[in-house]
Amino acid sequence: MAKAKTNTEDYLRMYAQMVRIRTFEDNANQLYLSAKMPGLTHMYSGEEAVAVGICEALTDSDRITSTHRGHGHCVAKGAEFGEMFCELLGKEEGYCRGKGGSMHIADQSHGNLGANAIVGGSMGIATGSALRAKLQGSDDVTVCFFGDGATAQGLWYEVMNMAALWKLPVIYACENNGYSEYTKTEEIAAGSITARAEAFGIEAFTVDGQDVLAVNELTQKLVTRARKGEGPFFMELMTYRYHGHHVGDINREYYRSKDEEKDWKENRDPIVRFRSWLVAEGIATEAEIEAMNAEIETDATEAVAYAEAAHYPDVSEVDMHVYAD
Amino acid sequence: MREITLSQAVNEAIAEEMRRDDTVFLMGEDVAEAGTPFKVLSGLVEEFGTERVIDTPISEPGFVGLAVGAAMTGARPIVDLMFGDFIYLVMDQLCNQAAKQHYMSGGKLTVPMVLRTNMGATRRSAAQHSQSLQALVAHIPGLKVAMPSSAYEAKGLLKTAIRDNNPVVIFEDKLMYQDKAPVPEEEYLIPFGEAHVKREGSDITLIATSSMVQVAEKAAEMLAAEGINAEVIDPRTIVPLDEATLLESVKKTSRAIVIDEGHQSYGVTAEIASRLNEKAFYHLDAPVLRMGAMDVPVPFSPVLEDITVPTPEGVVENARKLCAGEMIHAA
Amino acid sequence: MPHDVTMPQLGMAQDAGKIVSWLKAPGEAVAKGDLLFEVETDKATMEVEAQASGFLTGVVAEAGEDVPVGAVIARISESAEEESAAPEPAAEDAPPADDLPEGHSVTMPQLGMAQDSGVLVNWLKAPGEAVAAGDVLFEVETDKSTMEVEAGRDGYLAATLAEAGEEVPVGEPVAILSAEAPANPVARSVARTAAAAPSSPPARPEANAAQRPETRPEPARPAPQQASGGRILASPKARRLALEQGLDLARLVEAGHPQPFHVRDLDRLRAMPATSPVAEGAAATARMLTAEIDADGFAAFADWAAEAHGLADADALLAGLAGASLSPPCTIAVERFGQARHFAVPAGRVLSAVSETEDAPDLILRDLRGTAIRSLAMGAEASPVLTLMTGGAGLSVTLECSPSQLDAQSAITFLTDFAGRVEQPLRHLL
Repeated sequence: MAKAKTNTEDYLRMYAQMVRIRTFEDNANQLYLSAKMPGLTHMYSGEEAVAVGICEALTDSDRITSTHRGHGHCVAKGAEFGEMFCELLGKEEGYCRGKGGSMHIADQSHGNLGANAIVGGSMGIATGSALRAKLQGSDDVTVCFFGDGATAQGLWYEVMNMAALWKLPVIYACENNGYSEYTKTEEIAAGSITARAEAFGIEAFTVDGQDVLAVNELTQKLVTRARKGEGPFFMELMTYRYHGHHVGDINREYYRSKDEEKDWKENRDPIVRFRSWLVAEGIATEAEIEAMNAEIETDATEAVAYAEAAHYPDVSEVDMHVYAD
Repeated sequence: MREITLSQAVNEAIAEEMRRDDTVFLMGEDVAEAGTPFKVLSGLVEEFGTERVIDTPISEPGFVGLAVGAAMTGARPIVDLMFGDFIYLVMDQLCNQAAKQHYMSGGKLTVPMVLRTNMGATRRSAAQHSQSLQALVAHIPGLKVAMPSSAYEAKGLLKTAIRDNNPVVIFEDKLMYQDKAPVPEEEYLIPFGEAHVKREGSDITLIATSSMVQVAEKAAEMLAAEGINAEVIDPRTIVPLDEATLLESVKKTSRAIVIDEGHQSYGVTAEIASRLNEKAFYHLDAPVLRMGAMDVPVPFSPVLEDITVPTPEGVVENARKLCAGEMIHAA
Repeated sequence: MPHDVTMPQLGMAQDAGKIVSWLKAPGEAVAKGDLLFEVETDKATMEVEAQASGFLTGVVAEAGEDVPVGAVIARISESAEEESAAPEPAAEDAPPADDLPEGHSVTMPQLGMAQDSGVLVNWLKAPGEAVAAGDVLFEVETDKSTMEVEAGRDGYLAATLAEAGEEVPVGEPVAILSAEAPANPVARSVARTAAAAPSSPPARPEANAAQRPETRPEPARPAPQQASGGRILASPKARRLALEQGLDLARLVEAGHPQPFHVRDLDRLRAMPATSPVAEGAAATARMLTAEIDADGFAAFADWAAEAHGLADADALLAGLAGASLSPPCTIAVERFGQARHFAVPAGRVLSAVSETEDAPDLILRDLRGTAIRSLAMGAEASPVLTLMTGGAGLSVTLECSPSQLDAQSAITFLTDFAGRVEQPLRHLL
């Protein structure tokens, strides 16, 4: 475990945010399993420390771009359950008025530039956001989340080149969960992923993505440097997704074993690990943590009920927002 | 009124908008000191510096992606795509990212960017540097598409595009960069979705875009000598399309030919002709004809290339037949 | 609050799952995360975890049952006893009972090309009666004819589903034939049958009832006004204006105007004399006069006129001669090989003043000299028709018109005068 910080509130908030993500995903999964949610969704469960560790190092005016597995980033960057569940169910009060759904969910008001359903599709957007900050003379940093699968996209190499040339304040955060959809990453990625960033002269780091404090500490350091024009940076966060590629990817033993899943869940769960650390450090008692969990569970249950009862958008909205005024 | 080239008109439009609004910046391959291979942007880097006139690597998806991100965060980038043919390279950034952000976010994100590129054959540039691909992007909801037909339109439409809050693709005819036209000294904008009736007539409507406006005007002159009075209309933007003006004209003349330099099949001409058929059917005294580029890759040899695009003579021949009530295609 | 246990959606395109076994018994305590039951989908068998803690109650789906995704199959309740009203399986939508006998449907046959219903004229068999395949079952009237429809199979007429005089859409059942004698033969009207429609017809319509070959209607003969393959070719605008102004494009076809018609052709149509029953009746008893001329003097005259006076258009000259004989000023159409040119012939005899026009003609001059046709009788058309044909040593000229167009004396005078002018064109100039 990384070194303790002094601010108790920050730790408790990080824990709460991770639990909020897990709870959100459990409820989203239930909505899918009970056929109440239209379409599919990609669960972030297991990767909570990545989104929380990073986003807790950012301010509201710092920006992120998210992925198809984006609920975690969305929660971590400050979104509320109610609008998120509404979006998942295609309701009018959703963050995107029901037009985006799970794969495009984002609370734009907290600097989330959107979840992107094209693998690697937001790498240009994140780098452009960093270019904007530089042109504007602001010190905002942009974090580009993507998975290991997206490292196979050519776009990444084009934008890393420009980001490095122009010293843009962007941090490329590769959530390496070991699987590129239904294929082991080692089968699709040659050589070293960090070496690819290093080839552009970009400093690259590998970090345990199940250790929220380690992720947070590294991100804080890199964000501070990026604000001073020392960017861009690359982080490879070693993590694991508990579910399949999406909620419908149930029978997955052909690409990974149940034993492997069990091992990650039982021995490397980011929430369990951080919880014991909090208790051991005397930052929170078991009872306080249970109370926190229960409160989050209640929030989620209420938000789901609210979203289920919420209105769908009026059909007249179908051709609204195609063009901006 | 003074006359300037289309190239100068584009340059003026960008300079004026960059002076007016410091969120406007320019990026693309060889846009700074080189001023692009067509020298359209020469001089801009001297005035605005390399901070706002940015030379990029040859990474079309990359720099278009950057423009989308910069636009989503408050800038108004103008991207120079050296040849219209390269639009295939940037399709994901343009059609999946730029075009859909506003809609997918329920109206919360906007992408006020301009993609300037070009079109037009007969420059002996062969199949990968001669295409007119406006139909590809006009097909995508969320993108606007402007097609200037002279220096005057090039300036007015580009200034409007830069101020628009949506991604706009402007296709300039690369053969017209040195063509001069009267352009006022004083500032003006050309609103999107307003067609321009270039010539009034009563017998047949020639609807032409960009490079084909000249072709239609020439054809109209030739037809006038035969006593056929052709009306020539330039839609100026194909998205949004000024349907009302086109329909009004066709209801008056009862006949129409739609001319565009893109490939004829599944193209701009097909879309406009369909709308006329749907909405002015009972006013038509002849089938609406499409005239586009032949459905072949653009060939290199001049003798081949020249026959792939519509010509004034071809337009005249078709117009004459329509006006005489001859059947162009068997009943 | 009890927690519903539902059949989960497991695959991407799955809509139901089979319960393989329950891993907990009703009333047993369960903890969130415990394995509750096994489900088999098309892909595999999976274990499903409890999503809440409590007691398993209200199990309504047993092992082996197929359950739709999302359906509630049990509850997890706060006590083992809580037998909160077990969710009822959705009642199947039982079709409303239909009292129609079983058997083969006989449907309304499609008899014409564009027919969509037929009127049942009368039944030739009574409900309950035995029928043989070749027996006539009922008569149908369409717009074209009345015909008999055979049973097509042996059996009993178990039900009649339309009454005499009722209209039945093509393909809809009209009768039901059963193999066994029906216990309760049914006779219904279409209205009553329609009311019972939500329940599927009791029998699948098989082949339409056979039709007697001798009563098969003849292929529709093209109506006389639909000259070119049955459909008049005209532009949408010409059609719309004709409709708005009550103009009949078929009359242009009758008058021999080349298709497709455009707006300008409507002017000719407007200029045609109004048709009336009298005129149409008269057309049947049209006038037909033929003049024989020994020599065709016109060719030589045309050459001379072209050389001496620069009048190169022989058609204009011909129109001039015809117009002078009719009653100038007037419009003459000169038709050759289906192409027509219209000429305005002014008063006076000045042939150089004849000019092309688009006005509807007062007379059609049909030049068949270049053809093998030597005589004809076409009947009256919208305007008087003068036909030039090669005949004997020289020319044959036939005038056809209706009595309303030219009275007997005018017709004779006109043809005589014109024949004279064509024989010796120079006379025209005197």
